[in-house]
Amino acid sequence: MDTAIDKDETPQKSTAAAVFQRVTETVSGVVERRTWPKAWYIAFAISCCLVVLLGISLWHLFFTGIGIWGTNNTEGWGWAIVNFVFWVGIGHAGTLISAILFLMRQTWRTSINRSAEAMTIFAVMCAGIFPLIHVGRPWVVYWMFPLPYDMDIWPQFRSPLMWDVFAVSTYFTVSLLFWYMGMVPDLGTFRDRAKSKIKAVVFGVLSFGWRGSAKQWHRYERAYLLLAALATPLVLSVHSVVSFDFAVSQQPGWHTPIFPPYFVAGAIYSGFGMVLTLLVPARYLFGLGDIIKKSHIEAMCKVLLLTGSLVAFSYMTEFFIAWYSGNPYEGFTFFNRVFGPFQWAWGIMAFCNVVVPHFFWFKKCRTNPWIIMGLVLLVNVGMWFERFIIIVSSLTREFVPATWDYFVPTFWDAATFLGTIGMFLFLFLLFLRYLPMIAMSEVKAATPEAHADHHGTH
Amino acid sequence: MARFIFPEWTQTFRKWALLLLGGAPIYLVALVMCGANANTLRVGYQPEQPVPYSHALHVGELGLDCRYCHNTVEDAAVAAIPPAATCMNCHRMIRTDSPKLTPVREAFANKKPIKWIKVHDLPDYVYFNHSAHVTRGIGCESCHGRVDLMTQIYQAKPLTMEWCTDCHHDPSTARRPEEDITVMGWHGENAKVGYPLTLPEREKAGLNPKNSILMNCSTCHR
Amino acid sequence: MSSLDRNQTQTYWRSLDDLADAAPELKKIIDDELARDGEAAGDGPLSRRRFMQIMGASLAFASMAGAGCRWEKEEIIPLGKRPDNYIPGKPKFYATAMELGGVATGLVATAYDGRPTKIEGNPQHPSQGGGATTGFAQASVLNLYDPDRSRHFVRKGGTLPLDASWKSFQRFAAEHFSKLAQSGGRGLRFLSEAQSSPTVRALRAEILARFPQAQWHEYEPLSRDNEREGTRQAFGAPMRVALNLTQAKVIAAFDSDFLIHHPAALKNARDFARGRRPDDKVMNRLYCIESAFTATGSAADHRLPLRSDLVLPFLLALEARLARNPGASPKGAFLAEPEVAKFLKVLASDLLHNRGKAVVTVGPRQPATAHAAAARINALLAAAGRTVVYYVDEDPERVPHTADITRLCRDAGAGKVHTLVILGGNPVFNAPVDAGFKNALAKIETSIHLSDNVDETSSVCTWHIPRAHYLEAWGDGRAFDGTYTLRQPILEPLWGARSDIEVLAAIAGKTETPQELVRKTLDTVLGPATIDGTLRWRKAIHDGFVPNTAFATTTKAPGPAPAVRLTASQNAGTRRANGDLEVVLVPSTATFDGRFANNGWLQEMPDFMTKLTWDNAALMSPKTAAALGIHDEDVITIKSGGRTVDAAVYLMPGQAPFSIALAVGYGRTHAGYVGGLASAGIDPPGVDVYPLSTTKSPHIIGGISVSRTGRTYKLVGTQDHWKMDKLGMAEREERAALLIREATLKEFKQTPNFVDHMMHVPGHGSLWQEIKYDGHKWGMATDLAACIGCNSCTLACQAENNVPVVGKDRVAMEREMHWLRIDRYFRGDPENPTVAYQPVGCQQCENAPCESVCPVGATVHSSEGLNDMTYNRCVGTRYCANNCPYKVRRFNFFNYREFLDNPKNKVTSLQYNPEVTVRSRGVMEKCTFCVQRIQAVKIASKNDKRPIRDGEIVTACQQACPTDAIVFGDLNDEHSRVRKLHESPRAYAMLEVLYTRPRNNYLARIRNPHEDLS
Repeated sequence: MDTAIDKDETPQKSTAAAVFQRVTETVSGVVERRTWPKAWYIAFAISCCLVVLLGISLWHLFFTGIGIWGTNNTEGWGWAIVNFVFWVGIGHAGTLISAILFLMRQTWRTSINRSAEAMTIFAVMCAGIFPLIHVGRPWVVYWMFPLPYDMDIWPQFRSPLMWDVFAVSTYFTVSLLFWYMGMVPDLGTFRDRAKSKIKAVVFGVLSFGWRGSAKQWHRYERAYLLLAALATPLVLSVHSVVSFDFAVSQQPGWHTPIFPPYFVAGAIYSGFGMVLTLLVPARYLFGLGDIIKKSHIEAMCKVLLLTGSLVAFSYMTEFFIAWYSGNPYEGFTFFNRVFGPFQWAWGIMAFCNVVVPHFFWFKKCRTNPWIIMGLVLLVNVGMWFERFIIIVSSLTREFVPATWDYFVPTFWDAATFLGTIGMFLFLFLLFLRYLPMIAMSEVKAATPEAHADHHGTH
Repeated sequence: MARFIFPEWTQTFRKWALLLLGGAPIYLVALVMCGANANTLRVGYQPEQPVPYSHALHVGELGLDCRYCHNTVEDAAVAAIPPAATCMNCHRMIRTDSPKLTPVREAFANKKPIKWIKVHDLPDYVYFNHSAHVTRGIGCESCHGRVDLMTQIYQAKPLTMEWCTDCHHDPSTARRPEEDITVMGWHGENAKVGYPLTLPEREKAGLNPKNSILMNCSTCHR
Repeated sequence: MSSLDRNQTQTYWRSLDDLADAAPELKKIIDDELARDGEAAGDGPLSRRRFMQIMGASLAFASMAGAGCRWEKEEIIPLGKRPDNYIPGKPKFYATAMELGGVATGLVATAYDGRPTKIEGNPQHPSQGGGATTGFAQASVLNLYDPDRSRHFVRKGGTLPLDASWKSFQRFAAEHFSKLAQSGGRGLRFLSEAQSSPTVRALRAEILARFPQAQWHEYEPLSRDNEREGTRQAFGAPMRVALNLTQAKVIAAFDSDFLIHHPAALKNARDFARGRRPDDKVMNRLYCIESAFTATGSAADHRLPLRSDLVLPFLLALEARLARNPGASPKGAFLAEPEVAKFLKVLASDLLHNRGKAVVTVGPRQPATAHAAAARINALLAAAGRTVVYYVDEDPERVPHTADITRLCRDAGAGKVHTLVILGGNPVFNAPVDAGFKNALAKIETSIHLSDNVDETSSVCTWHIPRAHYLEAWGDGRAFDGTYTLRQPILEPLWGARSDIEVLAAIAGKTETPQELVRKTLDTVLGPATIDGTLRWRKAIHDGFVPNTAFATTTKAPGPAPAVRLTASQNAGTRRANGDLEVVLVPSTATFDGRFANNGWLQEMPDFMTKLTWDNAALMSPKTAAALGIHDEDVITIKSGGRTVDAAVYLMPGQAPFSIALAVGYGRTHAGYVGGLASAGIDPPGVDVYPLSTTKSPHIIGGISVSRTGRTYKLVGTQDHWKMDKLGMAEREERAALLIREATLKEFKQTPNFVDHMMHVPGHGSLWQEIKYDGHKWGMATDLAACIGCNSCTLACQAENNVPVVGKDRVAMEREMHWLRIDRYFRGDPENPTVAYQPVGCQQCENAPCESVCPVGATVHSSEGLNDMTYNRCVGTRYCANNCPYKVRRFNFFNYREFLDNPKNKVTSLQYNPEVTVRSRGVMEKCTFCVQRIQAVKIASKNDKRPIRDGEIVTACQQACPTDAIVFGDLNDEHSRVRKLHESPRAYAMLEVLYTRPRNNYLARIRNPHEDLS
């Protein structure tokens, strides 16, 4: 699994130097190339429009109130929290790939970890927006943080929303550090290859004066290892805590102890889904074919297969417990998901999260980029609907039938969500444009040549 | 060009950079904490009043009781500002021609009321009830300070929630015999006006702030 | 720094500021007040009120100028002289009265600094249910501050509206009427809405003496004349039929909603509920025979859905049975139907069996013959004097309203009328179409209309005089039983409006003030003062009524039954088969006859049955609709004698077959910005159905045809009705049985604690140490056996707690703000279901799920067990609402006070209760058990160093409840009523399985069916 370069793609036996050179060329080439694929410009234009849309909808939200959304008395959260959980979930693959796979010495990760981490950070940024804007009075949202002020009150630490505040912010900080630190040597490389003075200075500052001395490498690797160890529990903790938002409450359909593992599995599932959604096109646009190998893509598809099955298992468990517990309210909620007014949403979810991953049993589905794209897009959709089902369908029909109702999203619900998608793409495209989207140093370290002779100059 | 690694001269900025990174946040926090503090913003608020009425003269020197003018204080939430008529009770005879009192005479004669500027101004969602405090032995002084020394009325206490709860946690230390309610500069038993017990002290005294009706939200907010 | 937008949180100082800041015309008025004040010196209540006004005015001058980093500078403006025993900011309570449909109700108005904020019933008043109030009375205070009330006199032909004023009217009246006086008042007519005021009657006498040729007409769209004429048939003289239900064991209501739409509804409801105390094994039995489902019908033990036009034959059949002469019984085919026959048989036997303890009551829309029959039946049941009381009507000569207005129109059409003075009412809108009032009015050269705003009638009159609200003017009236009731003003008219008395006085050329006139009336009522007239007068004003002034009663026996001719459909009438359709026009629960159309509270108040807001709909039973191929929310055209009305259909379970019910009083074009204003392009809520009503058949219209228009219309309710999928409906059935626990009296006697056997509640016990409440422990008990779903509590809560009105679109999105909602569940056969109500406010759980999830601790538990909601701390995550199993929390999705930014509307903020924070956008709110009332009593009692008495703290809902179904008190006081109720075997907690331990307990509903019918 950790053959870095397939024979078929590189017939001639190459020396380490040559190989490293080629890696550097390919990756830096992406950033340094003069002409950019039209696709990038189109995508960038679209994302810009969506970012503007986000701006408009937030403006309207702040000046008019939560009422512009479809939420109501029984259904207090609606799309805002659906999107929050959706984005946080996506923000999982990055750190998982970087930290856990790193600790597991899965060297194939090197080709994708950088962009995955970037994606993580952008996703968490998108997620972070929602808890702040979905409150009724965003201008006092600072009360959620334990600050001393003359009211002599602290936040209420029993509330899962408080835990969120800490979990998500911690996760974001650590991921950011991890991402940036990993980038330092490559920024050094960029600096060295810089043509213009400005570039040189900018990358020079960004790379903190990286020299690549053995001492620096030694420190770097220690630090990286430590951060990886630090980040690993976070991967599990964040979404567990997010799941507490629901598990700790007492609403049927939310109040389930299975939520933490179930959410984490789902998160990884959606995370990998998103990584593939972004990398498969990128790989072809920037001709990174021989760094992001077919084998890597396949590996990720297999991860999807695994986590997808975990998610499906969680669904089954939920239903079983709902029946087995003998709790009539719990039972009805799940019955209602399948046969109630939100049956259509449940159908979409079930198909995308239970059926779709099993296509990856077939090699063709794991290798053909078009099929993969199709499937992973479905995975993204499915995971969004999972959160929709959990939040909306449970809330619209719980204990007192007199209060039951339906949920209809408004234009602004959609606009805000699309806006965040735009922001996500916007940031990611910029990342592709200006930063090393592949961890050169690590890829090099993962080549057999690197192991062949340890005096490989660098 | 050559790789850009921080040149020698940048070294001199290093310690400053560190100082800035460390110091700036601390400075900012301190600035906000002190700047936005009620002690800075509100204590000592002393607007110009339409009539230069001196509590120092009427209370301090002449020894009028607070309740002579603010006569609703014992049975209402509002300690009503006295009507011009109350002033005229005396000023029919005293200082009948003082120009300072023109607005008062105006108000009394042709009902053009005096517009006093509100000094002790709580937010509208705070329901403070004077009678509830006065009849339970909380002196005027506790919240209004030494009015008998004020030639022009000003806000002596921050009147923030923190300040209120300091006392609500354990009012025992601010209590005084009811006959001394209006006494200024009162020095009786444990007369630590506005200086409540610390939490351990309170627990020692068997006062459980958690279960005190005074600490209910609905005591002040409805 | 303040967390609620400061301009949103109105204390009484602030709201007055806003008021005058923004309302220049009011400022002007107040300035005038100040200017005029010199002459107001002197004592007596009037000058006290003057002072109030000045204080308001002086406050109003306060500026809102902001000041630096501190929040806005506020000003305190004391009075020049403070009236005796007036304490700023302390509420005062004045006895007053409101008149509706010619009957006065004694009320108590709560006023802060001279502005009324809340209306309660007058607990001393003999003809009423204690301190209870109807929804209309509760909401009437909002009419006082209605921004759409006219603020100017209007005179057609006058150069400008403004040139018209009271003075100019007086000038006009003096000259015009003195001219008329010479001609003895030929061509002068008066048209008044029903008025019980003796003062008005006295003035009327004087006027008719001054203008011998003049005539006085009276019209009410929802009149009780059929009862008058029926009793006239039976007894030879018209009577007022009052029920005395405390005595009644068996009650049979024929198309009669005596618990809601009856002048004595409050008394009836109280007495009815007192007759239903399952714990003391006291239970009366109520039979309802009606077309449209009424609240009374929902309280019934047995209900027979029957077309209104078949009620008469049914009644006659019943009489025949009771009189034991089957020959007299009509031959209506429907009487042979097993269901009907059985019902009739059981009813008859039950009535006879309880002779002397039984009563029959007939609704006002039923023809006179039906009322006559009822009188005879009551005689057979020996009810007179026991369960029914006949008051002698005070003016027997009066012709029925419909006849009266027809006469007026005929004369006017013939050009015999040239001056018409209309006192209140809105005949152009609600007179029967065939009377042709509008055309008649066009022929009259001088028409003077006294009304709240420029309504349909005023807009076509030559003079419009703003009518003073009952809280603004002196007056008097007679309660249903005739008790003389006084009305004192609480404040000066906001917009210089005038009362009927003033106008009539002006026409009669009298110089006395209304106050003097009313006082004179009092002296005539009481006879010359023996000791001190002033003292007597003061006492009467203070009490709001004069005891022992009820009408004379009679126990005269009714004459023999005349032969009644029935219509073909009544004879051939069948219930189920596709007979011809009838339309029944019913009083609206929101607008009454249309006069409350501009009242936001009432428009948004969900109807008892349909739970619809902001609309009236054509109610028909599911089977009828199916037979006609009509679906829910289809718009249908109802055609009657060439006149058509388009209305949306609402499928109403329990509606009588082939009978369509339509509420009147909607679709107004000149009501205002709430009730519809054509000139401003404001579409009215609902449709106007008066075009269907004729002088022949005002309320029960037979022989109509119905056709679909193909359009549909969105009806909006606060509770989603039968539009639910099968799955949901099945589940709802199941859960409703547990939410509203119910048993028959028999079952209850067998197993008194049946509520505990209805659901298995696993052995409880908290994982944590339970909190002890050693101080007060506030609790509430709601008796579902007593609740008639009348909505008074909902409106009382709205008035007390500054609950906003959100409008139809937002109700459609399930964003209504009512803190106290009344859940309504149907059970059984959709054609004739039983109904149960459950008022649900915050349950004040001891283990409140909302508290643990709030990230900022905005909702926490008080040491007395209340679930405090601190608005100014709320950030608005809405997690608490999600986690509330009862869904009683309400969120401010928008700034619902935006309308106050319009200077014209500022006046509305005067209604706000200064003791309750006005919530801003983005804040969660909910029922607080009226914590402001609790605090007020606690502070007061502690001030005078005494313990709180049980029943001293009364929540708004409890105070308004006519059946005394809601009880509040201290659970730690073992003598308190609420404690006893919580210990009743019927007591259970809503959703107790969740172990939230609610402080509000429900008492199971007990029905008392007849064994032969159950």
